[in-house]
Amino acid sequence: MAACSRGDRLPPSVRYADHVAAGGNQPPAGELNNPFAKDSGAVSDGGRIFGTMNCDGCHGGGATGWVGPSLVDGRWRYGGSDGALFQSIFYGRPRGMPAYGGIMSAGAIWKVVTYIRAQPVPAVVPTQRFQPATAEPKPRREQTP
Amino acid sequence: MKLSLLSMHRAYVALLVVTVLQGTPPQDDGQWTMPGKNYASTRYSALSQITPANAAKLRPIWNFSTGVLGGHEGQPLVVGNTMYVVTPFPNVLYAFDLTREGYPLKWKYRPDVNPAALGTACCDAINRGAVYADGKIIYNLLDGHTVAVDAQTGRELWKTQIADLGQGETTPMAPFVAGNRVIVGPSGGEFGIYGWVKGLDVATGKILWTAHNMGPDSLMLAGATFGGGANVGASTWTGESWKRGGAPVWGWISYDPQLNLIYFGTGNPSPYNTEQRPGENKWTNSVLARRPANGALVWAYQFTPHDSWDYDANAEMILADFVVGGRMRKVLVHFDKNGFAYTLDRVTGEVLVAEPFANVNWAKGIDRATGLPMLDTTKQTGVSRGEVKGICPSLEGGKSPASPAAYSPHTGLFYTATNNLCMNFQAAEVTRIPGTPYIGASTPYVAGPGGHMGAFIAWDAARGRKVWELREKYPVWSGSVVTAGDVVFFGTLDGWFKAADARTGRELWKFKVGSGVVGAPISFRGADGKQYIAVYAGIGGDWFLLSGDVRSDDPADVRPPADFAPDLARHTSQGGSVWIFGL
Repeated sequence: MAACSRGDRLPPSVRYADHVAAGGNQPPAGELNNPFAKDSGAVSDGGRIFGTMNCDGCHGGGATGWVGPSLVDGRWRYGGSDGALFQSIFYGRPRGMPAYGGIMSAGAIWKVVTYIRAQPVPAVVPTQRFQPATAEPKPRREQTP
Repeated sequence: MKLSLLSMHRAYVALLVVTVLQGTPPQDDGQWTMPGKNYASTRYSALSQITPANAAKLRPIWNFSTGVLGGHEGQPLVVGNTMYVVTPFPNVLYAFDLTREGYPLKWKYRPDVNPAALGTACCDAINRGAVYADGKIIYNLLDGHTVAVDAQTGRELWKTQIADLGQGETTPMAPFVAGNRVIVGPSGGEFGIYGWVKGLDVATGKILWTAHNMGPDSLMLAGATFGGGANVGASTWTGESWKRGGAPVWGWISYDPQLNLIYFGTGNPSPYNTEQRPGENKWTNSVLARRPANGALVWAYQFTPHDSWDYDANAEMILADFVVGGRMRKVLVHFDKNGFAYTLDRVTGEVLVAEPFANVNWAKGIDRATGLPMLDTTKQTGVSRGEVKGICPSLEGGKSPASPAAYSPHTGLFYTATNNLCMNFQAAEVTRIPGTPYIGASTPYVAGPGGHMGAFIAWDAARGRKVWELREKYPVWSGSVVTAGDVVFFGTLDGWFKAADARTGRELWKFKVGSGVVGAPISFRGADGKQYIAVYAGIGGDWFLLSGDVRSDDPADVRPPADFAPDLARHTSQGGSVWIFGL
């Protein structure tokens, strides 16, 4: 049997911290550890794989969002931990994310996870302003009779 | 001479066909039973109560939220006194009773659609509408199925799988019915599909023929009737690149019953990087004329050979008969993404007129003798050419095929939305992985000359010249309807629905409909005998991708403003609704 490459083992289920646990009891779950965490070589490899696997066709160049959601806004539909990202890529997600676990090694998926996690997340600016603050009318002072 | 009842009926039908093709039907039945109003796809309504003199008095009569956010392209149908509305994914079909106050639902059909299709729809999960035939409402689900629903009861009559999500095929186009065939095709030019059209039996939904748009003649159903050369659908490609060469069929279909031909356009070759598919790539970016009964190819013409810019030819083919160059001709008029408006002889495919209707610099013109564009080689793209700058039009097209034009035999003019955008184009090597995108280009846009990003225009297709235009700040992405009252209707991306004088272009009326308009208006006669105009509001399609933060139902997806239209999201958000206007 050929020796496994780094990170090439099948994943257990992971827990999603954002889900509400009925009764307050978290379900049993495994833990997925990224063997390439903070590995700069894996970041550049992962960026290249992100292109060759056509991820940019849906998520946009630089993963900033296209028909698929942005992956660099610091917000996540299905969890933003390394393990949750791995599961999203490996098994896919129901609203259009293809499952890549059948054609990519676990190691290659981890490199893509490492690339995504290395992208700078802009400061969260939930408000988009369409006119300068100076253009807004001052509150009218109530006149007392 | 004595005519039997049957032959009189045939004569009447023949007369009707001729007059419809010539665009002067004796009277309008007040319905809208197929996407383009009639076989010729003129989107001309012979109703005439609304005129330039009274259009300012138009007012909203009714509004209904579809409960769906995706781009509301296409148009409602009106059959008898029922209006049918198909939504984008999840493809709800509503049937409204137009005889009762408030137009309540008769029924609502909720198909089971695979949400995985959302990942193989390149550009939002839109739908372009339904067709009525043989007592059925027939339309496509996004996930590669065609369904037929009983128009009276809403009961599903048949459901046929026509496309394969695993190959990147989705099916948002509006089916067309010619004779007893339902004609359907797939999207997937951005997924490297092997493009096709199919003919289904109206009664059962059974697939009776499949015709590919490229490849060997046997797969293209190009037999002895086709005069375009043997196996050019394969020999104009390198190796077997035609097998992943795109040529989707996501636009509109027309039909000439006399010539017994259907006409439809094919989309871009895959991938965008030209250097992965040397050759002319026939029959991508083309119009094909086929027999509806068996799919046999009769003629084809390629608007943009070896496409360098994603200039799909899926826009409508409008059939009309008028004088060109001193001779009465049976023509087909087509506003292509490549920025040229073509007037072709629809019997043979001969190019009669080809002139730019938008700002064009990729070609200096179209050689009418050969039908070939005269290229500006500095605008050719490919991975070895690096970033090619300042190409006009952008890959949104001089006009989007999603925005069908209208033709009025009353004015003799065509009316269409247009875009005024240019682009840079950086091609890249790309690998085909079935079920994932196969694109290979980055293409940022800028506004074209003048700074306005769109216009609604009137076009003289016999002479190839613009007659008037209404400039708009943003690209114009709606379809249009023109009426016998000489009023033409269209909508804007920032959410205005407008009426203009069809002869002069003078704006007559406008109303803010709550979301950008990417649908196509229709005109119908209500149960009270009055003329009404219906249209969808609901920005989407490419404008879900390009408008910045216009979809607000997902807290995990917040988008920055669009770089070339940063304030569009100031004026619109997604949200589908149906409007009816009247006097």
